[in-house]
Amino acid sequence: MSPAPKDVLGYKPPDGGWGWMVVFGAHISIGFAYSTPKALSIFFKEIQMDLGASYSEIAWISSIMLAVMYAGGPVSSVLVTRFGSRPIVMTGGLMCGVSMATASFGSSIIYLYFCIGIIGGCGLSLNLNASLTIISKYFLVKRPLANGLAMAGSPVFLCFLAPVNQYLLARFGWRGSLLILGGMMLNCCVAGALMRPVTPPDKWTSFAPQTKVEQPNEHNTKIKRNFGRNAKKFLDLSFFKDRGFVIYLIGNVMFIFGAYAPIVFLSAYAINQGVEKYSAAYLLSIMGFVDMFIRPATGLIANSKWIRPRIQYFFSFAMVFNGTCHLLCPLIKSYVFLVVYAAFFGIGFGMVFALIFECLMDLMGSQRFPSAVGLVTIVECFPMLLGPPAAGLLVDVFGDYKYLFFMCGSVIMTGGLFLFVMNIYNYHMLDKEKAAKNNEQGQKDTENQDQEKAASWIWCLRDYTIFRECLTLYAQVLG
Amino acid sequence: MKLLWAVSALLLSCWRTDASTAPNIVTEPHEVSNQTSAVLSCNLTDSSLLIKGSYWTLNGNILEDSVSADDSPFTVHRLDKITHSNSGTYECVFKTEPQVKQTIEVKTLPHVVAYKHSEHGNENDKGVMVCVGHGHPLPTDWGWFKEEDGNRKQILNGTGDKYEIKSTPNKTTLTINELSIQDDIGDYTCLGTNELGPGSDKIHLRVRSRLAALWPFLGIVAEVIILVTIIFIYEKRRKPDEVNDDDDSGSAPLKSNSTANHKDKNVRQRNSN
Repeated sequence: MSPAPKDVLGYKPPDGGWGWMVVFGAHISIGFAYSTPKALSIFFKEIQMDLGASYSEIAWISSIMLAVMYAGGPVSSVLVTRFGSRPIVMTGGLMCGVSMATASFGSSIIYLYFCIGIIGGCGLSLNLNASLTIISKYFLVKRPLANGLAMAGSPVFLCFLAPVNQYLLARFGWRGSLLILGGMMLNCCVAGALMRPVTPPDKWTSFAPQTKVEQPNEHNTKIKRNFGRNAKKFLDLSFFKDRGFVIYLIGNVMFIFGAYAPIVFLSAYAINQGVEKYSAAYLLSIMGFVDMFIRPATGLIANSKWIRPRIQYFFSFAMVFNGTCHLLCPLIKSYVFLVVYAAFFGIGFGMVFALIFECLMDLMGSQRFPSAVGLVTIVECFPMLLGPPAAGLLVDVFGDYKYLFFMCGSVIMTGGLFLFVMNIYNYHMLDKEKAAKNNEQGQKDTENQDQEKAASWIWCLRDYTIFRECLTLYAQVLG
Repeated sequence: MKLLWAVSALLLSCWRTDASTAPNIVTEPHEVSNQTSAVLSCNLTDSSLLIKGSYWTLNGNILEDSVSADDSPFTVHRLDKITHSNSGTYECVFKTEPQVKQTIEVKTLPHVVAYKHSEHGNENDKGVMVCVGHGHPLPTDWGWFKEEDGNRKQILNGTGDKYEIKSTPNKTTLTINELSIQDDIGDYTCLGTNELGPGSDKIHLRVRSRLAALWPFLGIVAEVIILVTIIFIYEKRRKPDEVNDDDDSGSAPLKSNSTANHKDKNVRQRNSN
């Protein structure tokens, strides 16, 4: 079960050293990307009172921000391939900071949609894609661990931003808080500055099996010529011909559809079961806290020599685990067991998210990863936006939360099992293709060897002839 | 003789109807006003009706611990401590056919509480302060006052565009438009009055300057610029070292890409001859 081929970088990734600073930068960048849309909801009540809008109108701000962040994937892929990660993350951080700062002066809900939702969302999408790409450039052997550490940014920042936002809101009001939050997001520029591009020295390229390598000069001129062509194909649909990619995409879509609804409805479900309001809110904090530690731990486990070759199976296991948690939830009635459920939910959720991009890197390789991740995020936009409302509809129709958990659990579990089965099939086909290729190569090799042998005999003969001629001449001279 | 029987039958029936239409409940006391404790009692004086039990209600809600199946015409409800939460309209109800009941009103001073004792507003924005009234009877009159140099200055509704007061019996809202830091910071008192007297609470209003958040923001921007500069300077200084490092690690590919090199080596060796 070797990892999928096409991982030919052309150079040996550092796998450490400055790479850990890059992971730290990615941690900050990804942290802001995932936690900001959620943390903003703390301001909604005050904004609602001030601007006189309804709660659903205000809630759209978060949804627009998340949707733009995911939909902007392909654009950000093209930019990252063209310019590298560092300028993109710095631009993204600047956009986010400016968006929040300008939003603080807003006086209409449409203005907030535009500033926070669209501009902020674009900034975050640049951040996300570029951070993931630079990890794949810096790490190969320790890549799962690096991914786990970077993705841990999301729960860490959520735990950090939630109380900070509360404090800022009380002290400065929502306008001042947005201004200061914008300032904090400028720290993504610092994260971007840490993302030094990997530039191998020129002499390495002569040994590289292919010339499509990270040489900045050659790369730039080549890409400049192709930029016109690339710009036309933002959505590189040739990815859909890749079997592994399609399998991954289907499994992921199923996961994302069922993943977010339990988070949205967990406290409502707990209150429905008779739990007190504050204790219900604690459940989400427990989940986030567990998530924080599980992601790096999963990265470490995935990096071990037993799991790394079979990482796609580990990913499907994590999804099945998550689905099982949700399916068992409606059987729980007491608060203590709800806490246990929240902890296991955190474990499952963290495991999946630590591996979600590592598996894509494993499938696609570092060269194709930026475009692949852009395509994946734009496709994932739809289940992410449709999942919670669909679940909410189930609750409204049946009046019981258990159907929500059944639906989410079964969808996620089906996705996990689908990935497991299809990956077995995919690896089987890959092994067959590899064997066929080896046979071809073997035939070519024997042909080459025969040719070489003939060539060396000819040289031998020529040397011998020359040698004999010299001897004859010498004899003539002497004799 | 027949006339005598008719008259006495008429008198009897009148007396009987009198008895069934006017059961008299004597309440003690009739009304409770501004007392710390009380004992409410009801005495059903006309005992011709069958009493299956009795209970008390407060504002229409049955008090569970007062329900009794006793057939006594005398029922008692104790109020050891009268606060705004147990003041209201009490009714003693006797389970008879038909039901009979009598009302005792327990009145207290209004209990006035502010939603938040410390309110914030932004400069040039509007500030809202809310007070809620509890108890029975609810305040009929609400007033807002501003503490100024130890004196209370009444705020009147519609004084220019600045002050707006909206009041209902259980809630009053004071809205101050165009908050200014010099004039509007301070303590505000809401006063609710009912027939027994007043109740009040105090709210402290803080006005945040528009620029209050600007200083932390500029501080963070400065920190970001400094960090980015440090990172770039560190990188520029490292560059000469980096070239040396790469020379050392450049030997690694020579060892790893074995097959390619063997081919090259062979070709090169032959070519050199």
